[in-house]
Amino acid sequence: MKEVRLWTASDVSDWLTDEGMQEYMDALRNMDGPALLRLSEEDFKVSPLSLVTGDSGRQLLEHIETLRFTSHMKAHKNNNHENSNQANGHTGITLANGSVSNGKILNGCPKNGLHSKAVRILIPSLPEQERTPYPTEWFKTGVAFLYALSCFLTTTVVISVVHERVPPKEESPPLPDKFFDLFDRVEWAFSICEINGMLLVGLWFTQWLLLKHRSIIGRRFFFIVGTLYLYRCVTMYVTTLPVPGMHFKCSPKLFGDWEAQSRRVMKMMAGGGLSITGSHSLCGDYLYSGHTVMLTLTYLFIKEYSPRRFWWYHWICWCLSAVGIFCILLAHDHYTIDVVLAYFMTTRLFWWYHTMANQQALKEISTGNLFSRVWWFSPFQYFESNSNVRGIVPRNYQLPFLWQTMTSAWVKYSKLDSRES
Amino acid sequence: MASSDHQGNKDPTNTDGTPSPGTSCPVHSHAAEEAKRNSLRKALVRHRDYVKISVPEGKGNRLPSEWWKTFIALFYAVLNLVLTTVIITVVHERVPPKESSPPLPDKFFDYIDRVQWAFTVTEVNGMVLVSIWSIQLLFHRYKAIIARRYFFLLGTLYMYRCITMYVTTLPVPGMHMVCAPKLQGDSQAKLQRVLQLLSGGGLSITGSHLLCGDFLYSGHTVILTLTYLFLKEYSPRSFWWYHLLCWLTAAVGAVCILVAHEHYSVDVVVAYFITTRLFYWYHTMANLQTLKCSPNNYLTHTWWNPVFNFFERNIQTQVPCSFCWPITWPPACLKNPCKKYSMVQ
Repeated sequence: MKEVRLWTASDVSDWLTDEGMQEYMDALRNMDGPALLRLSEEDFKVSPLSLVTGDSGRQLLEHIETLRFTSHMKAHKNNNHENSNQANGHTGITLANGSVSNGKILNGCPKNGLHSKAVRILIPSLPEQERTPYPTEWFKTGVAFLYALSCFLTTTVVISVVHERVPPKEESPPLPDKFFDLFDRVEWAFSICEINGMLLVGLWFTQWLLLKHRSIIGRRFFFIVGTLYLYRCVTMYVTTLPVPGMHFKCSPKLFGDWEAQSRRVMKMMAGGGLSITGSHSLCGDYLYSGHTVMLTLTYLFIKEYSPRRFWWYHWICWCLSAVGIFCILLAHDHYTIDVVLAYFMTTRLFWWYHTMANQQALKEISTGNLFSRVWWFSPFQYFESNSNVRGIVPRNYQLPFLWQTMTSAWVKYSKLDSRES
Repeated sequence: MASSDHQGNKDPTNTDGTPSPGTSCPVHSHAAEEAKRNSLRKALVRHRDYVKISVPEGKGNRLPSEWWKTFIALFYAVLNLVLTTVIITVVHERVPPKESSPPLPDKFFDYIDRVQWAFTVTEVNGMVLVSIWSIQLLFHRYKAIIARRYFFLLGTLYMYRCITMYVTTLPVPGMHMVCAPKLQGDSQAKLQRVLQLLSGGGLSITGSHLLCGDFLYSGHTVILTLTYLFLKEYSPRSFWWYHLLCWLTAAVGAVCILVAHEHYSVDVVVAYFITTRLFYWYHTMANLQTLKCSPNNYLTHTWWNPVFNFFERNIQTQVPCSFCWPITWPPACLKNPCKKYSMVQ
């Protein structure tokens, strides 16, 4: 940068632009370097400068002061350099910006104002910024899906086994139940429950498709659902409760006929265990209620992974869920204990899993973290090792990739909802 | 300086995730502190160019006793025990007679036949565990805090038990069970029964286990499991033989319940599950201070979260394992009994 005293009016304008003081450009149009250095406070009290300045020129005066100073120093330095160069016979001349040229003083240096010494700061490229914080890892989701599928299969097999052991209702009457004492049976209530269940599952599936981090969330859903059904296998198997009502029509028992039993298993899997599809003809799967698990779990997931302000949506789903559960009991299709236990297990497992997933402190084994003592802690670590390194999975939405190609005209959006809202 | 009380503070990877201030250790007696200060003063005198910077004391006691909260927890537990007894009496009236409602098919019963004296084993094991636990609690330095937790968990588990017993009544698990005759509407006799049950603690050894219908879930399993968990949690880590013994006692007790055909398998399984989950949940919340303030903490969605906050509000760190004579007199407290394990576990 050349010396201020040699500046022309255009240099002054350029400098003003660099410093971000364009408002003075007009007023100081014809001012050159030396005149600039001679500016003082009195000049700002009269027009034209008094009209454009907001702080009576204080900022500009400060900048000019610095210019004055620097120009002094430069003159000093150049003299020294010239002296030393002459003394040492150096061919290189150190320019004001610190870079050594080979004898040419460049006047066309970038006019970056007073920063005559440009220092290059190397910013290390952060590897985390290139790697996404929430890797999709569809392989893990596939593993979770297989796990859930195998749990469903085990449940179906266990139901089929337990069915053989259910005592006939003549021999073992329905157990006394408080709810059954208060409410008589309503026949069509179970269909309501199943319709609600299917609605909720459909809603959740649609919502899941719209989420951005579907692989992580899908993984969680499959794992939790699989584990709940696995627990259900255990409780169903060890003790067999009798049918809750005389209205039950249980399929006849097939003593040891494996082929027929496996056909039954297939039929049940195909129908999803719903009585609407006609695959709910086996008895004995009472403790605890799978319908309650699905209703509660889908509601919890819907609520968790949708925006906070969709309170009406949450409310509707809650109503669907509650009415569904109530109708199970109204239809005398499960004992009250089955429903209570299912609700308890589902909510506890859901909250436990999500709290563990959201807190880094709980993902490690330590004396204070008793959550690490559950049997599924290692699978949990496998599933959640890479997600949520920085916090919870944000609720971002994104159209599924199938639709993105078609909606090129639409602006893609992804909303980040603050959890604290 | 290795002392048991530093379990929470000295841990370099602090379990609560917060930097532990170097507050004064309660184990240190006043005499030792005095001596330290004197030597420091002498050192200061020698090097007069030292400048004394007064560090503000820590925010007070991080593990206050608050005995009144413990008494509230005790009251809560007693209330729930009484409620359970009343519910058992009510449910007893509704148990179907074993002729009309035979015992339900149970996998364990299919494999193992009934052994008559097994239930006595269970009850003896239970009483042994509870007495060992009482002794351990008595000698623990922070007995107020731990007793509070024990009573709260016990009360809550019994309350859950009330609900599950009441809504659905299971038939008796075996034809051997002798149920007291039903008192249709005779309130005074029912009240007498309640008192009898309470005074005997519900144990059949004391002859107060005559009522039927309290099957889902098993109270005996709850006591065995909960006492074992507390015994293990609040004793030195290095006493593995002690933990093993207690575990064997509890496990044998739980299995003997089934061997005696006194409960269905599902009763024991559900009781074990609910007890362990509640224990882990409560203690993780209490131990990790970051959870208390975290907004992503779903553990606060339980109904008992306000009660938990009330009890554990002023407990700022994990309760260290530290023992002391029951009649507290600071210099008499045992120094470093748990020294071996005070390193990072």
